[in-house]
This record gives sequence, C-alpha cells and structure tokens, in this order.
Amino acid sequence: MKKFLIWILALMFLTSGGLMASNDDTAESKIFPYKYHMKDLENGLRVIIIPTDYPNIIALQIPVQTGSRNEIEPGKSGFAHFFEHIMFRGTEKYSADEYGEILKNAGADQNAYTTDDRTVYHITFSKDDLETVLKLEADRFQNLKYSVEDFKTESKAVLGEYNKNSANPVSKLIEVQRNAAFQKHTYKHTTMGFLKDIEDMPNQFDYSLKFFDRYYRPEKVVIILSGDVKPEETFKLVEKYWGDWKRGSYSVEVPTEPKPGGPVYEHVEWKSPTLPWISVAFHGPAFSETKNDMTTMDIIQFTTFSQSSAIYQKLVVKEQKVDQFFPYFPDRQDPYLLTVAARVKNIADIWYVRDEILKTFASLSL
Amino acid sequence: MDNSETIAAAIVGYVANTRDPETINKVYRLYDSITVEDVKTKANEYFTDNGLVVVSLSHDPLPEVASTTGSIDEIVQADMQTAPKITTLLKRGDSPIINFRIVFNAGPADDPKGKEGLAKLTANMITNAGSKSMKYEEIQKALYPMAAGIGNQVDKEMTVFQATTHKDNLNAFYEIVSQQLLNPGWDADDFKRVKTNLINAIKVNLRENNDEELGKEVLYEMIYKNHPYGHLNSGHVAALEKLTLDDVKEFYAKNYTRANLVLGMAGNFPDEFLAKISKDLSQLPEGSTNGTATELQVPEKINGFEAEIIQKETRSTAVSFGFPIEVTRSHPDFPALWLVRSYFGEHRSSNSHLYQQIREIRGMNYGDYAYIEYFPRGMFQSHPDANLGRQQQIFQVWIRPLETIQNAHFATRVAMYELNKLITEGMTEEDFEATRNFLLKFVNILTKTQDRQLGYSLDSRYYGIDEFTKFIDAELKKLTVKDVNRVIKKHLQDKNIKFAFITKDAEDLKNRLINNTTSPMTYLAEKSAELLEEDKIIQDYQLNFKADKVKIRLVEEVFVN
Repeated sequence: MKKFLIWILALMFLTSGGLMASNDDTAESKIFPYKYHMKDLENGLRVIIIPTDYPNIIALQIPVQTGSRNEIEPGKSGFAHFFEHIMFRGTEKYSADEYGEILKNAGADQNAYTTDDRTVYHITFSKDDLETVLKLEADRFQNLKYSVEDFKTESKAVLGEYNKNSANPVSKLIEVQRNAAFQKHTYKHTTMGFLKDIEDMPNQFDYSLKFFDRYYRPEKVVIILSGDVKPEETFKLVEKYWGDWKRGSYSVEVPTEPKPGGPVYEHVEWKSPTLPWISVAFHGPAFSETKNDMTTMDIIQFTTFSQSSAIYQKLVVKEQKVDQFFPYFPDRQDPYLLTVAARVKNIADIWYVRDEILKTFASLSL
Repeated sequence: MDNSETIAAAIVGYVANTRDPETINKVYRLYDSITVEDVKTKANEYFTDNGLVVVSLSHDPLPEVASTTGSIDEIVQADMQTAPKITTLLKRGDSPIINFRIVFNAGPADDPKGKEGLAKLTANMITNAGSKSMKYEEIQKALYPMAAGIGNQVDKEMTVFQATTHKDNLNAFYEIVSQQLLNPGWDADDFKRVKTNLINAIKVNLRENNDEELGKEVLYEMIYKNHPYGHLNSGHVAALEKLTLDDVKEFYAKNYTRANLVLGMAGNFPDEFLAKISKDLSQLPEGSTNGTATELQVPEKINGFEAEIIQKETRSTAVSFGFPIEVTRSHPDFPALWLVRSYFGEHRSSNSHLYQQIREIRGMNYGDYAYIEYFPRGMFQSHPDANLGRQQQIFQVWIRPLETIQNAHFATRVAMYELNKLITEGMTEEDFEATRNFLLKFVNILTKTQDRQLGYSLDSRYYGIDEFTKFIDAELKKLTVKDVNRVIKKHLQDKNIKFAFITKDAEDLKNRLINNTTSPMTYLAEKSAELLEEDKIIQDYQLNFKADKVKIRLVEEVFVN
C-alpha cells in the first residue's frame, strides 16, 4: 500500500465540504486529494464518506483499532486475530450461512485481516445493496452471537492457519525475532499468537466475550465508504443501523518496551532442508504524523534496500550470493523493528551477507 | 488510485491509527521535508549495536564466527578513523550561497616535456565533459535549472575547480559535479570536443582576436624560456594535438591527489555536507607534494634589452615588457612593492602614474598599467582572480595598443623614462600617502565577495601570510616612504628587460628599435611647455636594443611548437 502511494504525485485539488472536512491550507498540495465528508455519531462512531467518479460500486472499510498489541494478558495472545474469524460466525438475526448467502447474492467481494495494531473488515459491493450491507455489518458488529461449539471449531481453524504458516521459514524467523527483540511490549508475540495460547483457545470462550465487549465498540471503529454514494443519504443509513450501538469505556495500557540493551542473537534450527536465512534488524521508531523518524526510515527502506539499491545489485545480481532479499520497515503504533532479510545460497556466506547488510546500515551514519 | 476500493484502502491504515483522513497528507508533507542530514541523524540514532537484533535460520550447521551479531558500531568507528584527512579551508557564514574552491597544487608547470597543455586539458575534461554516471549533456540539463556549474582555472602551480550554488540545491548539485571531479567519464567524444576547443582557444581567441592578452603571454614565454613556467597555460598546439586520453588519465592520477589538495568552502554549509565531501575527497590517492614545489629553477638571466616582435595583421601596436623579481606575497618586501606597483600602474585606474602620463596627459591610448603578480584576462576584469599562486613572479608593464608604430615607440620610451625616474627619484611623501590611503580601502574591494574572500584565504595559506586584508592593513600602516624607495631600488631596474610587441609591420618597428630612431610626438590639442620639453627628451630616449636581440616571429608560429 505504501509503495503504491509513493508513486502518486501531488495534485492540486482542495479537500473541502462536508460537516467535518479538513481546513488545511488550500495552497498546499495534497497527496490524498479527494473530497470527503466526515461525521461522528453520538456514540463516537466516525463515518467518512468519499464520493468518487466510479459508478455503481461502493467500497466499505471498517478498521477496528484493535490488534494483537492489545493482547496484554498472559495466555491470551492471538485473540484479535481469532476475533476476525469469529466475526463471520453469525448473529441472532443472521446465521453464518445466511450472512454468506446474502453477500454472495449481492456479488460482494469481502475479506478481513488483522495486524499488530488493527483489525480491518472490508467489502466491495453494488450501490443497490448499500442498505443491506450496512444493516448486515451493523448487526454483526453489535449483535455477534456464537455457540461454544462454533467457537471451539473456529479455534481449530486458527490452529490450522498456524500450521499452514509454520511451513514457511520466514514466519518462524519473524516469530523468533519478535520474541527475542521484545521483553515487555506485546509485539513480543505475533498476530497469530503464541502457539500455546492458540492451543488453549478452545477453553477461552468466556474471554472471547470479554474481548468483544471491550474492543468492538463504536469509539474504536471507523466506517469508511467510498464510491457511488450520496453523503447525506448514506449518513442517514449509517445512523439508522449503527446509531444505537452503545459506546464502550475500556482503554488498554500496552506496556512500554524499555530501551534495548545491546545486541541480540537467535538461531532457528530448521528441521527440513532449506536455504539458510539471515535477518538484521534494529529497534526503530513508532509511526508519527508529526515526527520525521519513521518517515525517514521509509525513505531509507526505499533508497537503500530496494531492488534498485546498491546492496541488492551487489548481493543478488552481481555476486549472486543471495536469492531473496527484502527490507521490512512497517509502520507501527509503538516502536517496532526495521528488518532486512536475505536468503543465502551458500551457508558459508551467511556472515558475509550479514556484514554487508550491517555495512550498508553503517554507511547511512557516515 | 483509479477505483473506489483503492481510494478507501489508501487511507484505512492511517485512519486506523489516528481516526483522521488528513494523516496521510501530513505524512506526505513530512516526506517532503526530509533532508540528507535527517537521514544521517536518524541513522546514527537508531542503527547502533544497542538496538541490533540478528536472527539466522538454517537446516545445516552454521560456520564458525567470532561474533554472531556482528557489530555496526565497530564498522562506523573504523570508517571514521581510517578516512584519511584532507586539508580544508572553511569560511563559515550565514550566506545561503555556498562557494567551492577545490585547489590542487599542480598545473602547467607539471606538464611533461612535449605535452604542453596537458594540465589544462585534464581540467577541461573534468569540467566540460561527462562523468562515469552522467553524460555531459545530461549534466548540463540537470544543472541548468539550478543556475549552477563547475568551472576551472589553471595556472602554473594551482588548478582550482570553482563552483557556486544555493544551499537549497547543494546536495543535488554536489551529486552531479562531485562525480565529474572524482569519477570523470573520460569519454572519447568529449575528449575530441574539449581538445579541439582548447586548440581553437589558442589559435583563434588568443592569437587572432586578442592582441593585448597575446602580448602578455608572449612576454611570459620569453621570460620563462626553458623553465617550467615557459609555455602558455593552455599549452602549445603541436603538443595538444598529440595528447591522448591516456595522457590525461595519467596526469589526473598523478596530480589529483590528497597531497596536492586543499578543499575551500564558504557559506552556510551543514556539517553533514562537510563530512560527506571530505569523505569523498579523501578517496583520492595519497600522492606526494609535487617536485616543482621545491625544485623550481630561476629563470634565465636577461642581458640588456631583448624583444620579440610578433607580426600579424592588426590595426595597432600592443606593447608589454618586464623582468623577473624575487618578490611574491611571501617576501617581506611585498607590501611595499605592491604599493609601488599601485602608484605606478594600478590596474584600470586613472590614478595610475603611467596612465596619467601616457593616456591622460598625452591621449595616446586606452590605458597603461604595472603588475607584480600574474593577472590573466586583465582586459576583461577590474580585479584579478584569486588562486593564481606562484613561486615566482615578474614585474610587468602593460601599454595598451598604440595607433602608429612611431607612437608605440614613443609610448615605450615614456614608460622606460618613467621607470627610470621612479628608480632614481623614488616616490614623494605625498604620492606615498595618497597611494597608501587608496590601498587601505581598496583592499576591501578586492575581497568584497564571499567567493573572493575564500580565494584570497587560500592564497594566503599558500604564501604563508595572514588574511590578505588584515595583512595589507597591518603592513601598509608600518611602511614609510623611505621603506618604499629602498624597495624600489632593490627590486626594480631598467637595464635588463624583455619586451613583447604585436604589430603589422615588424620590420619597421625592429629598425626603429635597433637604430634608436627618433619618435617625435604630435598632438591635436595644445600641450604645456613642460610637457613638450619632456617629449623632446623622450622622443630620443635610448632603448638599448641590439639587432641580434630583436626577433621577429609570425603570429602563426606562436604557441605552436
């Protein structure tokens, strides 16, 4: 997503209109130039409507400000992700099958994902189905209802997902990396969660209800609608179906990670034959819209470690010692890691590759 | 973002963080503000051993290694320590204009025999050609909107690469021109063009189109015959024609070294930039200080009067004459002699004594000046360029073109007459004071720009003296007219001199010179009785030219072999 946006050059349109539109300098160019209309419902739910010139289609994005970083209780990692699954398990009014059927008939395109910082539900559909979709989504966000059996079954699916991922050495590498790098912060566990917590999920039905009650609340959710929409009508529909949703009061105190205290090393012994991997990472800054730390890191990722970079050309193209090479500097709400990973063709070169990556980082300081 | 889905998706990440769609615009404005300095600062803050996390994964056992994490701190320390030092001369100030004067203590005095022009050709292949990463036309295109460029000035012992740019363009500008200097392209097509242009500059610009500069350069070649200073800085045509790209590369490798380098920079340049350019320049080879610096021979002794008369199709006659002096800015007598020179012939000044005598009173030509330092392109400039530091200089008089050969003869006599008077009678107290007062102020005009100050500072460093304005102020204030007249007698003389004339009828001039033919002066306006009396002496003033010491040359032969 970020890379895509980098290629969008500034356009000179104003962002205006709406009940709560921004009033930034009109003289400045905006990278996101679309007119949006924004409104907060009384219960704290924020609604953003972006009419576009593309007819017939509406895209709905519902970010929930909850991710795996919110899993502060021991033994309870993986629930944000688990919840993404559970949200498809039906409500009082619409069972999981009925929900799926309605959307299928509507020719809708739907999915969800969970990250460290958030859970996002998204669906693209025909404008004729606006009311239906808003109703359905409002229902599951407010009235989610699932049985213990369904819950246990879904937890097994999550374990299945873990097992699927476990075949990928990079997944394991990241898991080990995070566990070694973080002592206190919840980034210590991955979004999937610790295996032992996943295995224990079937026993955590009560906790799942608590999780829903805490986090699936209007003040933690934003509704974004983009496409063939009329703002006034749409606001009314959202109000109609989401207006009664009760505001929550839970706030989470995610523990602060103390300053790192020196270099950390871990090795993963991989049971089956594979080409070796080496990752070099540094504790980095958090995302900010005011400080230039993470944005500078974005520039560094792009200029110093992308495929056109000197190190890539050297290791992958010229010397051909590495066959996979990527940087991973994701935006995170709290300070996270800046990683460069390489798959090395010959294990004898693993320390050389590590040092080349270190030298490249070092060159930026000089 | 050409569909509604991606439009919504574009902001969802940011909205999930802050609930504000404007976050994306704020973030992109942050991107816009990031500087090279920011990258370096953040890199220093975050990329340290303290925050390092290394993870390996393998099926097979890992090879042995001293440290599993490695160390970035060690790499950074090592790099900072081993980066060789370069000599810098920095003038920091508030100006957003950044001046560069990158000086190499090498020049045409280092041209090997038969390769006269190599130093200049090499410098031109740097500033007027492409680099390894950019073609010349790409460079020109890229620099055009920055209104910036890199130029060179090449003199016997100093080659300086000059550039000026605005701070806002500093990094973009530097990226381009640093490559020209440090990774020259040595392109064959560029070489052809640059070489041809240099040859044409000699043949056409200098020889054909500029008698005054031609005369001065001929004089220098005469005085420094068989001496490392003995050929025109741009070279000689025959030698240039034979030069190859390999010659240029060799000269570059041998002379563009850290031992020869002084990096001069002025303006409000950031520390990070200084560190970067220092690091880049430190990659030049070590080298050793050039042989010419310590072993320079003295020019051949002059016996009596010698002349070269360059014959060419030209309307008027140009005259230059001079002789070597032992005074440079390093010499204790420099301030006094500099004052004398100013009195006798301050460049382009109507106060110059010679100017008064030849132009003002007699109306004979456009101007008449005297010098104790090399001043190329004098006809185009009011003030001399900096970074023309030399170990040896000459005393020189420049008489601008005269209408007739008879007048040229007369004007030369006037100059010699006045020189003789200066030596025998010295300066008056009045003239001394007036000249000193002028110079105490004028020295600030010479150094009025940031770029000039930088240049003069580099020269002061070369000569081992204080900042020029400070130096002149202090030294002139110590002088008395007695000192000045002592210095005149010590360093100036009128017995052993070389002359260069540019004229149409060389034979005629030669005959007049060797026969000491009378050269009476006539005027359109009424002149005072004293002047006419003086003229009677001057018109027959003896100039000791002997036939075997007056050589006629065709202009086509000058600067060729």
